[in-house]
Amino acid sequence: MITASHLTRRFGAFTAVDDVSFHLDAGEVVGFLGPNGAGKTTTLRMLTGYLPATSGGVEIAGLDVLRQSLAVRRRIGYLPEAVPLYREHRVDEMLTFQARLHGLGRGEARRRIGAVLDRVGMASRARALVGKLSKGQRQRVGLAVALLPEPDVLILDEPTSGLDPLQRIEVRKLIGELARERTVLISSHILPEIEAVCPRVLVVVRGRVVADGTPAQLVRQLGQPSHVRLEAVVPDPAEAVRLLGTLEGVRAVADRGRLGIHHQFDVQTDVDLREDVGAVAASRGWALRELSWCQPTLEELFARLALELGPDRAAGADPAPAAPAPPVADALAASGPLQLDVSGPSAVPPEPAAPEPVGPESAPPRRVYNLNPFDQGETRDLGRPKAVDDGGPGGEQGGGAAAGERPS
Amino acid sequence: MRGAWTIYRRELAGLFLTPLGWILLFVALLVRGILFTIYLDRLGGEVNAALSLTQGGSVLYWVLMVLLPPLLTMRMVSEEASTGLLEFLLTAPVTDAAVVAGKLLAATTFMALLWSTSFLYAGTAHLLGAAPDWGALLAAYLGSVLASGLFCSIGLAASAVTNTPLIAAFVAVIVNVLLLFVPLVRANAGQLLHLPPDHWLLDAMRQVDLLDHLSGSAWVGVVDSAHVLFFLAWTALFGFLAVRLVETRRWR
Repeated sequence: MITASHLTRRFGAFTAVDDVSFHLDAGEVVGFLGPNGAGKTTTLRMLTGYLPATSGGVEIAGLDVLRQSLAVRRRIGYLPEAVPLYREHRVDEMLTFQARLHGLGRGEARRRIGAVLDRVGMASRARALVGKLSKGQRQRVGLAVALLPEPDVLILDEPTSGLDPLQRIEVRKLIGELARERTVLISSHILPEIEAVCPRVLVVVRGRVVADGTPAQLVRQLGQPSHVRLEAVVPDPAEAVRLLGTLEGVRAVADRGRLGIHHQFDVQTDVDLREDVGAVAASRGWALRELSWCQPTLEELFARLALELGPDRAAGADPAPAAPAPPVADALAASGPLQLDVSGPSAVPPEPAAPEPVGPESAPPRRVYNLNPFDQGETRDLGRPKAVDDGGPGGEQGGGAAAGERPS
Repeated sequence: MRGAWTIYRRELAGLFLTPLGWILLFVALLVRGILFTIYLDRLGGEVNAALSLTQGGSVLYWVLMVLLPPLLTMRMVSEEASTGLLEFLLTAPVTDAAVVAGKLLAATTFMALLWSTSFLYAGTAHLLGAAPDWGALLAAYLGSVLASGLFCSIGLAASAVTNTPLIAAFVAVIVNVLLLFVPLVRANAGQLLHLPPDHWLLDAMRQVDLLDHLSGSAWVGVVDSAHVLFFLAWTALFGFLAVRLVETRRWR
């Protein structure tokens, strides 16, 4: 439906879009993703024929956007980022204007205006002045204007910007419905939007398409592997790494170093091993703080692509992406003081690890640690947690005492 | 064609949906009405002479002619470019020429409405027993509308140059004033430039001399196709310029 071939757009010496090629089949919903200034809007403008390309061309439904411009314009619904609407007109007048521009008959126009306003949930505001509408409502009217001619191709530039979360969900739902009938290209820099709506994603960074595929594919090919994250008070991290490594299905265990009294591990695995890891922690009496199943997200991937850490690795499609993380963690773990201090909290396990059923009344005194070094003076050693809840009236003194209690 | 008509209707509605249109109409009606009574008084009841002053021949007429079209057209392209509406129009299934034509016609229609107040004065005079020369008034009115079209197309072209409506109006007013300076320079060319009467420069100036064309036709009650064509040609030229300038908006 949409074919862009070697699209390039320069503004003076600046290349906004650099040799972008892609193809959208009829009925596809594609997310156009990129950081601000990546060339998303410029590309969309070239697709709609508003901006002529420096080189390369665009075909929509087999028609060249520049040579058969009017025929193309009849087929596309375009919602620019600025949501252009005449502020002094009423909502239905704006839609009538759009209907006339597209040469719809009067009856047909009236029918479609009703339908399209229902669809975007603005039927009750048909007589409202556009200038008095809120940003989100205007966005929806803009969408209605783009939908009115029932175009084959819908090009939406940041359709959810400025909407509140509820409206976002609505717009997402709406786009999901539209997807069944039309080819839709949505640009956004908000990832969850794209992930929720688009089966296919094009990632643009600095005017180039750096990735193209389903979110799952992209994540699998380019992302970090999935892992179980464990954060617990561990007496001997090296032993813990060895122990976790013996679990079935574990590829590697990365020690990500200490966070206060806790130690963080990434157990790299393709299956959700939370229960197994949890069992190990329970059997060893490690005080757990976090146990979670982390799958790589498009977000991470996007951040890496945007920062251009990704593309070179992406090109190689190297299936050993575990490599870059450990060195950092190792370095952290190997750094002297942290390692030495680990013996400190080893005396702690007895109290927080207790898994025995505890009634609400008989709750053993829980110790809460204040790990914030900034409200305890700069000399505070992170390796020695300071209890903040057993101080009694002289809180400050008690805290100091508690810290003193810790064996070092 | 349909596109131009749609844009025309939208623009005209837009002029009357903002206070600017009403304010301009109000001021023009008031000032022109007061001045008509003053003209009539000074001319000792010569209705036709007073009417012709309201359709050219008076300084106020030219002040309105130079100032109002730029004020009407200043926002038409420049503001729409900054609000993104131009992007909407240029991706809608209408040609750029249709967009400009619609806007130009809307502004000209507004000016035509403004000049038509002269018919009110003539009608009043008629009711009071004087006999206004309707034919002469109609010809003068047509001349006013044609000249307004030219000034509106200049305003539109100026509006397509910049994103700031006020700068657009300023540029257009300057061009308008320069255009009205041509007859003045031409009339005094002998003394100012020491040119012989058959010099080519004088001929060239004659081709852009509005007053010459108006005084040869509209102001003496004649509708002459040559003079009508003169205005249409210049309007078309600036209209074409506006279309081209709007087109350059796509890559500016």
